[in-house]
Amino acid sequence: MKKGKARSVFIGVCVAPAVILFIIFMLIPTFNVFKMSLYKWGGYSNTKEFVGLNNFKILMEDMNFFRSFQNTVLLIVCVTIVTMALSLIFAAILSREEIKGQNFYRIIFYIPNILSVVVISAIFSAIYDPNNGLLNSIIGIFRGSDKTPILWLGDQKLVIYSLVIAMIWQAIGYYMVMYMASMASVPESLYESANLEGAGRIQQFFSITLPLIWTNVRTTLTFFVISSINLSFLFVKALTSGGPDGATEVFLSYMYKQAYTNSSYGYGMAIGVIVFLFSFGLSAVVNFVTKREPLEF
Amino acid sequence: MKVKKVISTLLVTTMTAAMLAGCGGSGGGAEAPAPAADNAADETQAEAPAPADAEEAPEVEEQVLKVAAFEGGYGADMWSEVVAAFEASHPGVTVELTIDKKLEDVISPSMKAGDYPDVVHLATGREAALTETLTKENALLPLTDVLEMTVPGEDVKVKDKIIPGFLDTLATNPYGDGVTYYAPMFYSPCGLFYNAGLLKEKGWDVPTTWTEMWELGDTAAAEGIALFTYPTTGYFDAFTYAALASAGGSEFFDSCMTYEDGIWESADATKVFELVGTLAGYTEATTVANANNDNFTKNQQLILDNKAIFCPNGTWLPGEMAEAPRADGFEWGFMALPAVNDGGAGCSFCWFEQMWIPAAAQNQDMAKEFVAYMYSDEAAQIFAKATAIQPITGVSDYLEGDNKMFYSIYDNGATAVMGGFAATAPVEGVNMLDTLCGTVNSIVSGDKTVAEWQAAVEEASDKLRAAME
Repeated sequence: MKKGKARSVFIGVCVAPAVILFIIFMLIPTFNVFKMSLYKWGGYSNTKEFVGLNNFKILMEDMNFFRSFQNTVLLIVCVTIVTMALSLIFAAILSREEIKGQNFYRIIFYIPNILSVVVISAIFSAIYDPNNGLLNSIIGIFRGSDKTPILWLGDQKLVIYSLVIAMIWQAIGYYMVMYMASMASVPESLYESANLEGAGRIQQFFSITLPLIWTNVRTTLTFFVISSINLSFLFVKALTSGGPDGATEVFLSYMYKQAYTNSSYGYGMAIGVIVFLFSFGLSAVVNFVTKREPLEF
Repeated sequence: MKVKKVISTLLVTTMTAAMLAGCGGSGGGAEAPAPAADNAADETQAEAPAPADAEEAPEVEEQVLKVAAFEGGYGADMWSEVVAAFEASHPGVTVELTIDKKLEDVISPSMKAGDYPDVVHLATGREAALTETLTKENALLPLTDVLEMTVPGEDVKVKDKIIPGFLDTLATNPYGDGVTYYAPMFYSPCGLFYNAGLLKEKGWDVPTTWTEMWELGDTAAAEGIALFTYPTTGYFDAFTYAALASAGGSEFFDSCMTYEDGIWESADATKVFELVGTLAGYTEATTVANANNDNFTKNQQLILDNKAIFCPNGTWLPGEMAEAPRADGFEWGFMALPAVNDGGAGCSFCWFEQMWIPAAAQNQDMAKEFVAYMYSDEAAQIFAKATAIQPITGVSDYLEGDNKMFYSIYDNGATAVMGGFAATAPVEGVNMLDTLCGTVNSIVSGDKTVAEWQAAVEEASDKLRAAME
């Protein structure tokens, strides 16, 4: 009995630092975001005015917010689908096929992930440059260099896809390494027997590899949602500043603009609440939809 | 078994203690270097000498003045020099100078905690909009009595030393009620920069009216040179302000800046919108793609490369592009905006930075003294060495070279336009400058029509009018 009590005290003491840190740095700030979204406040003075749900009411009529919402959803969908497909393919090739210089490719694919987003933005600024950029120069070979240049960062219909490309390039390596790690644990014997029974590589991928790493794929889906929302802010900040004319404004960049540039801190926090609920909700939906009985091997 | 348990308990306690110590910050008195934990006697000895430093007996009243200044294109050295000169002429005053290119990020965390600088030099119109936020929240000290003070070391009143006109603008009296809250600092005319060398080489005349401007645009287009480019749409504030004042006069300009009902749909405003609409057609094709904070210098480079002729900017442009490669025979030219009405006056917006005192400042009297000192000949000369020009009478004597040309822009009959939008309570989701300037990108790329733009500006103006006090 006495020993049991000492044990729980010991466990309590062990867990306390993490719990305290979690409360101070996670729970209280989150609670504050929710609280501040009910106030009209510029961010500095002591004149906070309680306005109830008014910030949310304004939000529902703010076309600029909906535009940033659309852009964010587009980014999440495009980046997730393309990145997941490509990194699964690359991971399968690199872990199942015998290719010369496998490790070299592994490193090459992973490098974008170590680079800071600001560096990546600078690289893509150079790639997208309308006159001497890599992309336009290559395209120029096929369509003739005397045509008007394609404005990758200037055309409002194109610019969001320019962001998508940069984000995919940045993310592929990370997810590829994650998928490779779980592919490595799939027993070789399964592939051997599949080979004997005459299954081709593509069939092996869909019937063996994919089902057996499904838990891992599900986890990364949540990562995709969260990192698309977070990284899109960094890319927008460094690459386009939300322009031209708000065409690349995303959730967080719009929230930042309202909270800091437009002196509407409370309104910014209301956007923060929507982003919080949206990413939580989306992750839950994704998690629910992709639920499968885990396969044992 | 028991020993193991004791050891792990010890470890956990150490971890917790270390964590708490990490969170502790500077609250804990003397900041002696951490003593070796195994000897308690060392600890007491190490702390003992600390109080000895505090024994200086002050003869004059010791005062600390906290000055926060934005480090702009003029550099940081001039501030250290001015502060040293101020300390020399005010015995007993120690100035704690904070200077940074991202001043907002440096000072706002402590401001949120209630620790304000006494004097802040930070202009309006910055992205973080700290100055605007404090203005909107009525957190600034009126400078009325500073204007009545005599300039330290001289016998002129501050308000008599400042060039007439500078204190009657919305950029110094943000609420439009005649009370000055921002002290004007470092003025700089904005206008159109062009490549004078190219015009000379081709034998083209510098256009003096917009009709001549469009003619030049057509001639140049035939040779593959665009008439116009802009670094980012942010520069259209100065451009539209000048155009508005030229189209409708200074009263009309003030009505626009104070969101008068229907003013943006008036005939004079329409002229300005249409002017920008026409100009959009003459804009260099790749401008929009580079009109962001990362690439705006590529647009400025177009001027140096003879690919575009005009670009709206301020006097810092030649300095900013000093290292850039340029076409043979390149030479900067600078002019005011041509008159919008036939036979009317051209206009140039005059941009200046601002210095202000937060209402929550601790040492307000010395802060006022410091602001007044900024207009002394001594301070102005130090600033002028770094090409920062104070708006005081007789300042032109300090100018030389290119600067003389920039500051003589008003000598050719152009009117100076000053000010900016009146301060309002924050309106969620409405940003006038974004609507007025940011949309230019869409006009150039053809995504929006001039009429849509004009309607959006009027709508934003309506919403902001309701929030004016």
